[in-house]
Amino acid sequence: MTPIDSAPAPLGRVVATERKPNTPHEFHFWTALDAPVGIGTIVRVETSRAVSGVLPRVYGVVTEGFSYTDLQTPLHDVLGADGEPGNSAAAPTERTEIRLYTAAVLRHVPEEPLQPVPMGTVHLADEADVQTALRMDSYVQGDAPRGIPVGLYRAGGTQAAVHLDADFLLGPEAAHLSISGVSGLATKTSAVEWLLGSIFAHFPAAKGRVAAVCFNVKGPDLCFLDQPAVALSDEDKAMYETLGVPAAPFGDVRYYAPWTGRGYQLATLRSNDALQDNVQPLTWGLRETLQYAEVLLNRDDVDAKADALIDFIKERVLDQPFSDDFLDGKHEVRSFTDLERWFRELLRGLEGGNRDVWRTHHIATIRKVRNRLSNISTRCKGLVTDDGSVSDLPFKEGFTDRTVYVVDVANLEEDAQDLVFARVVSQLREHLEKRQLGVEHVVVFVDELNKYAPADGADTYVRKMLLDIAERGRYLGLVLFGAQQFRSQVHRRVVGNSGTSLYGRMDPDELATPGYQTLAPATKARLATLEKGQLMVRHPHFGQPIFVRFPRPAVLSGREGVERFPQAEELSLDAAITKGLRRLDPSITLGWVQDTLALAGEDEDGILRARNRTLQARPDDVKAYFKAQLRKRVAPDPGARRGPTPLRVPSSDDPYG
Amino acid sequence: MRVRAVSGDPVVGFRAFLDGIQRSQVLAYYGTVPLVHGAVASAVRVRDDRRMRTWEAPIVSQALYAPLAALEPAFAKALAERVEVRDTGVDAHRHPQEFTARALTAVQRDRERAEIALATAWVTRASEPLLVDGGISGAGEAARHPLAIGVVKSHRTLYAEGDSLPLVLGLREGERTTAVELSSPRRVPVASWYLRLREAGERSPFFGLVRVEVARADSLALTERADLVSRWLLAERTPVSLPDPRWDVMVYGIRECEQYLSAIL
Repeated sequence: MTPIDSAPAPLGRVVATERKPNTPHEFHFWTALDAPVGIGTIVRVETSRAVSGVLPRVYGVVTEGFSYTDLQTPLHDVLGADGEPGNSAAAPTERTEIRLYTAAVLRHVPEEPLQPVPMGTVHLADEADVQTALRMDSYVQGDAPRGIPVGLYRAGGTQAAVHLDADFLLGPEAAHLSISGVSGLATKTSAVEWLLGSIFAHFPAAKGRVAAVCFNVKGPDLCFLDQPAVALSDEDKAMYETLGVPAAPFGDVRYYAPWTGRGYQLATLRSNDALQDNVQPLTWGLRETLQYAEVLLNRDDVDAKADALIDFIKERVLDQPFSDDFLDGKHEVRSFTDLERWFRELLRGLEGGNRDVWRTHHIATIRKVRNRLSNISTRCKGLVTDDGSVSDLPFKEGFTDRTVYVVDVANLEEDAQDLVFARVVSQLREHLEKRQLGVEHVVVFVDELNKYAPADGADTYVRKMLLDIAERGRYLGLVLFGAQQFRSQVHRRVVGNSGTSLYGRMDPDELATPGYQTLAPATKARLATLEKGQLMVRHPHFGQPIFVRFPRPAVLSGREGVERFPQAEELSLDAAITKGLRRLDPSITLGWVQDTLALAGEDEDGILRARNRTLQARPDDVKAYFKAQLRKRVAPDPGARRGPTPLRVPSSDDPYG
Repeated sequence: MRVRAVSGDPVVGFRAFLDGIQRSQVLAYYGTVPLVHGAVASAVRVRDDRRMRTWEAPIVSQALYAPLAALEPAFAKALAERVEVRDTGVDAHRHPQEFTARALTAVQRDRERAEIALATAWVTRASEPLLVDGGISGAGEAARHPLAIGVVKSHRTLYAEGDSLPLVLGLREGERTTAVELSSPRRVPVASWYLRLREAGERSPFFGLVRVEVARADSLALTERADLVSRWLLAERTPVSLPDPRWDVMVYGIRECEQYLSAIL
């Protein structure tokens, strides 16, 4: 028990006037001029008047501050100083001045009866107070703690870990996280990297396994999650220790990237030879693509008639023997090449028979659909393969616990990014529903959420899917971590369903939008000037937004990563094949590849196809398998060959993105 | 009496400021006799690093002021058992307003007593100059002490007549009169002079005019002291005491002390 005479002196006193009364959710207090109080400081109010035999305690967070003197008008000061500002400083007495603060109530103890905040003394909250004020005592302590550290609260010498409730972050009570902030100031990507590390370290095993799927949509942001940060400061290390999170990169990260347009190497800034062990191609065939054709096809272009033909192809033609009077023999369409052949023969047959309609589909519709579908393999070159070979995330094998799966779509066109996003998320949902994913919870991190789920604009397939996740994902264990610069530009049902929201430094114009009306002007001002590594947190258990600090991520930043692991140079075909196959069999040499290719006499498409199939099959005898693939002659790609497309390297040198 | 320009620039000299306030109101009538509640407070506010704080403890008291002889003895006794009662000592069968006036005078005396007590305490225990709001000639021991300086803001009584009057009313900013000795039978003799703190211009001739009281001294020492104290007072013109209507003659330390007393009384 603390002796009364050694108890810390109060920080301030609660005050209320008729014009500025206290309420159950807000109160005012004054402090000494040098009191260590600021916007975001958590305080405790004590009173000596018991209610129902209990001395109430009130916890609040400072949301506004005022300072004024006994001056009635500034003109009086001008008069007193004879219009010379320097004269005021020479006055022997400083005017009586007040520091008056407004605090928003975080919690009343006891909770009932809920009364206006009484007059009393105000004290700085200590660590235990912070736990109580933020209701963390209900989930951080006990036999089955489920707190996920999000950062450190610091004020007036108090330092306290702030935890999120796993049940409200990853479901099932609430779920999803929205993070907003201007680019380049340690918000968004850095905060998500830190929080994922915290989740992996603290998510209770009893609640199931958890994995993360991150879409790298720009530059090298997420390309080095398995590499340690260059040099964490002592302060950062201390924060990691205090928060009980290892200051280490992610132990298990797997990368997926489509091929470049030329097909020689993967379209990712993680192309350095030293980092290829956990990088795999992301390629899909006709079946995988057609399933989500809606994502790629322009609704203005493809009408109900075209839809009907596409449905017919999906149901009656794809992956099954198909014959018709207008076709020569049986067709089994498994790839874009097969589909093109099918269309070619069908149209030839119709033209030869002088027919306009085939199975109720007009020839013009058939031509249109052929054009649009064939176009997909060109628009999504590198991701969609003509030959139907598939290299995918391990949906069938199962995801593993505490693993990050990074899907690098930074170098894909927007259409292709949408396709990747739609298919991966749909697959996750499907497998989670069937309990066949290998984990019970998946965090899907999407940057630039305003692009995928905009507040305005067309109701796209991707937006509908995101809305569905936001509203129902928590029951499945599918959790959306969305980042955006402007929260106001994201669909309100997506951000509205985010149980937890993080805010880094915000743009003042954004803060002027209606979504921030509930924040006090001083809180907005602080948000507009937050330093790197600071966040404002909203969480269902916290009665009010709380400011915290979080450590720099313990992973190599994108900027440092591209410097330390420079991008591999564009390779010749022989060298690219050698590099690809050496991942499976290090004994393969450039000479062996050159000899093999010379003997095979295969064209470039055939060679790349053979390599892709070998990489997909991962055979024991790589050389024999590759040779066998070369001998399988497949019709060449009808599409025009394009030159190499350089990877998009971010212009910003900011490590946080 | 002559006019002198205060020699030397304004200089900060006061360490503390003493003021007192009083409040009174008729609470009830016992027959035709008013029962007046009076409250007084006095404090010394010390200036440390340009900020004010209270020196030791303020004096605060309150009581019921009434002519006990005009009340039923039983009622007077019951009253005294419950609250502090001050007898204003008036016979019965007087005009009710006279009772009230007597009570207000008694409250004022209590306030003066509180001020004198604090002024005496200061000159006994402190070692730096104290600015007292009002005259000090009624302050007993403090009136004889060089640390107590009284500043009178109102001029219901003018200590100038004949040729001296235009001299006093015509003082310019930063000018003072020569000091004179003021004495009366029941008060301590003090040295006093007029000082113009602010230029009156076209305003009232009393604008910015104060009268200063200090303990007596020999002639030469008094001239030097009057100049020095005047320089201290001129240094206290900022910050101005607006919005108080007496801002032209009230130094900020006194206004601050008055606000403090208003807050605690």
